[in-house]
Amino acid sequence: MTDLAPPAPGMLEDLRRRFFASPLQALVSLLSLGLIALVGWKLLNWALLSAVFDASQGAEACHRAAGACWSVIAARWRIILFGLYPYEEQWRSALACVAVVAMTVLSCIPAFWTGRRIAAIWLAGTTVFYVLMKGGVLGLSHVGEESWGGLALTLFIFVATCLIGFPLSIVLALLRRSELPWISRTTGLIIDAVRSLPLISILFTFAIVLPFALPHWLQGDKLYRVIVGSALFFAAYQAEIVRGGMQGVAHGQGEAAMALGLSYWQRVSRILLPQAMRNALPATINQFVISFKETSLVVIVGFFEIIASGNAAYGTGEWRFAYAEVYTFIAFIYFVFVFSLSRYGAFLERRMSVGER
Amino acid sequence: MATLAQSPNPDIALRIEGMNKYFGNFHALRNIELTVTRGEKIVVCGPSGSGKSTMIRCINRLEEHNSGRIVVLGTELNDDVGNIDEIRREVGMVFQHFNLFPHMSVLENCVLAPMLVRKLPRPQAEEMALRFLEKVRIPEQASKYPGQLSGGQQQRVAIARALCMQPQMMLFDEPTSALDPEMISEVLDVMVTLAADGMTMICVTHEMGFARRVADRVIFMDRGEIIEEAPPETFFTASRNERTRQFLSQILNH
Amino acid sequence: MGSLLRNQKARNALLQAVFVGALGSLVIAGALIARQNMAAQGITSGFDFLFKPTGWEVTFSLLPAKPTDPYWWYFLIGIINTLFLGAFGLVTATLVGTVVGLARTSSNDLARLLGRSYVDVFRNIPLILQVFFWNALITNLPPPREAHEAWGFALTSRGLYVPILNVHGLAFAGATLALLAAIVLPIWLGRTTRLDSRPEQRRPAQLGTAVLALAGAVLILFLGRLPDTSLMSVPALRGLNLQGGLRVPPEFTALVVAIAVYGGSYIAEIVRGGFKAVGKGQVEAANSLGLTPWQVFSCVRLPLALRAMLPILANQYVWLMKATTLGIAVGFADFFMIVALTINHSGQTLEAIGILMAGFLIINLSLAALFNRINKAIALKGSQLRG
Repeated sequence: MTDLAPPAPGMLEDLRRRFFASPLQALVSLLSLGLIALVGWKLLNWALLSAVFDASQGAEACHRAAGACWSVIAARWRIILFGLYPYEEQWRSALACVAVVAMTVLSCIPAFWTGRRIAAIWLAGTTVFYVLMKGGVLGLSHVGEESWGGLALTLFIFVATCLIGFPLSIVLALLRRSELPWISRTTGLIIDAVRSLPLISILFTFAIVLPFALPHWLQGDKLYRVIVGSALFFAAYQAEIVRGGMQGVAHGQGEAAMALGLSYWQRVSRILLPQAMRNALPATINQFVISFKETSLVVIVGFFEIIASGNAAYGTGEWRFAYAEVYTFIAFIYFVFVFSLSRYGAFLERRMSVGER
Repeated sequence: MATLAQSPNPDIALRIEGMNKYFGNFHALRNIELTVTRGEKIVVCGPSGSGKSTMIRCINRLEEHNSGRIVVLGTELNDDVGNIDEIRREVGMVFQHFNLFPHMSVLENCVLAPMLVRKLPRPQAEEMALRFLEKVRIPEQASKYPGQLSGGQQQRVAIARALCMQPQMMLFDEPTSALDPEMISEVLDVMVTLAADGMTMICVTHEMGFARRVADRVIFMDRGEIIEEAPPETFFTASRNERTRQFLSQILNH
Repeated sequence: MGSLLRNQKARNALLQAVFVGALGSLVIAGALIARQNMAAQGITSGFDFLFKPTGWEVTFSLLPAKPTDPYWWYFLIGIINTLFLGAFGLVTATLVGTVVGLARTSSNDLARLLGRSYVDVFRNIPLILQVFFWNALITNLPPPREAHEAWGFALTSRGLYVPILNVHGLAFAGATLALLAAIVLPIWLGRTTRLDSRPEQRRPAQLGTAVLALAGAVLILFLGRLPDTSLMSVPALRGLNLQGGLRVPPEFTALVVAIAVYGGSYIAEIVRGGFKAVGKGQVEAANSLGLTPWQVFSCVRLPLALRAMLPILANQYVWLMKATTLGIAVGFADFFMIVALTINHSGQTLEAIGILMAGFLIINLSLAALFNRINKAIALKGSQLRG
């Protein structure tokens, strides 16, 4: 059947139909266009046209300019990214960040989506990160956790949260689905209690209150207590996602496995979890995204992560006025991480909804 | 033919001239020509994807045609919003999936448009709604919600809802294809009653029994074209067209 | 023993007992150690401290507060501050989210582009960073002498100044309630099924209650007027500072703006999802009945979209309520900050944390219960929802 396509409308006619079909449409179009032009121009002017990039003239040049003062970033980027990490060793901190990014990218590739491979990648990535940051071996000088800061600390807390929280979430989900009423009920109670609390209150409890309730030998460093708290919070939310995924697995699957004589652990690890994790994948990535953003809350319990180091970068002396530039820089870093991760999640969701079954 | 719009023939309910419709590059309707006089009952059939639904959806502008003319009840369908509103007021439509408003009771479904569009006061609108619900034989369900009714009942409510606008013409888009077999007859019975009252009807349906009983003309469509147009007796027994016979044998002999 | 372990029922009972027992003993051990530690610092455990004076100031309060007030009063102040901030945040975030969400579902490409850019930018930046940013922005504004002023509002480094009525605080609260009643009561009258009369016969009653409630509001305001003052108090420059009007502190403004902007981007997605969930068939049916675009929107698309988004919206509201705890980052005296200060000053760690948990549990549960009721009231009846 060869047929000509409908006569294409002219460009003007096309524009009229798309943007000026009715008076209301025309109003919306003009308003939107005006807003886009205004915000776009202001941003462009502030961020590029009237901005100061030359750090050599110091803060003085910025006072005269109408736009952004990017020289503060040029002057202070090391503080923002690495915090109080020793100056000569900051290459290690940078390399550690690269290792985490590489690890994240690798785990986004479907070829690595088996329990073992994912676990291997994350353990290897975290080990590399930890050795690079802490040193004390391989000829690297020792740098204690108290000097970690900036982007590296943010990434470390995030990765450690996931590394502890993810397995914990699976355990919690399995316990909550248990057929034994006391186990499922108690677990449900814990999950719901954690979910009803604000994350800050949990971080605060783990950082400041918990030492009261622990024997001395169990207290550990404040950083690791906060990570455990953050992991618990992550696990409580992720457990509900995993449980949702498990509910999506057809009932017959478990029965078939049981009829084949598989043991509980075999059923869970070979039949239930692989299917459940597939179902839960989009929501899981969304949870990772949220969790990454919430890592920033540790600033409140006194950690020198990227926002705190940003506050320090503009808070002193000559750069006091340059808060917008510093926050924009940090926002941009977060944006790159979070936006790419959430785009990836949306892509997966589309692919899964179109692809199989 | 061009004089049609200037001197509308009051007996003609619908006139389609050289109408074409594309979805992107897909030519969905080809040179459709169709004239329906008032009180006439037309049954449209054909294999799936043949453009039957698209054609009747063009009649009240749920789909926009790309070329040709459609004149409904003396009003030409074009970009004029006023014309579209006028035609939609006068043409009722019943859908395959009922499309009742699930957040409104049956009665509210029926009075909504008369009150909003025809500006009828509520008491009159409700009185009329009950009359039509009686006509489709479910007055007792008036206060229930669509989700609480069976498919056949929902479709009869949908017919009542369309009738409440007191349309001059009714379009049926496969009204029984989404129903369980035992519910089909209750809907068809209502449609037969409606036909007996003299309503102008265009029905897309595969219910050949209904076509035999009610239709003045049966139209067979395939690949976006009207292949054949004939009174039912001729259509079912003495069709000259190969594709029609093939279609009929598929649909009747199973 | 061995055979007992092979018995499924016995094994299940044992498993459960071990699980619950282990958890329970963990909690008890923790509590005992904490008690011991507190005793070593000379702090007596128990809730007696609630009735002792705090001895410290609170930075923001809707109720009168002084350092001699007891702890329980301060906790109440904290909860009210949290609810106050939460209410402002929820309302503004919902407004922003509705506008942006509608832009995202619009048929206009430009409006969609705008909505999408908004969501992409503000959803992907952590809330706390946005709070810090807005707070820095406001505290870096010009001082009161060079304030940006418009329509009686003034924006300065010391906060936002708004004109207010010169009435007693209680009278203002009462008038607000009366105004709310003027809106809610007529709606309730129109929809309730408890009255025998048909809804459209209740028009006079609806009008009557609205007018009565409005009159009540005016009367309350009139009675509550502060003596010897003009009706409106408008901020005006006196010397180096602004006098009159109401000063909204920078941290409160920053928090509300941040929650509105960030929460709005999430709510926009919920709104969009709600409209996407409305069946195409319902819209076509409404069109084929001759309804105008506005009627299709207000009678069919909006009510159906609302039902689809409400459960998700409820979760989002609970989340936003919890986000008010960010107040501590900029020094707003919300419930959590009061708890943290209490721990600092009194050392009553476990008790304060317990109160914090109970407080949030109650807030969240009541929000959830409220939304469940609304949800039930408007839920679609019957099973074939997509009909």
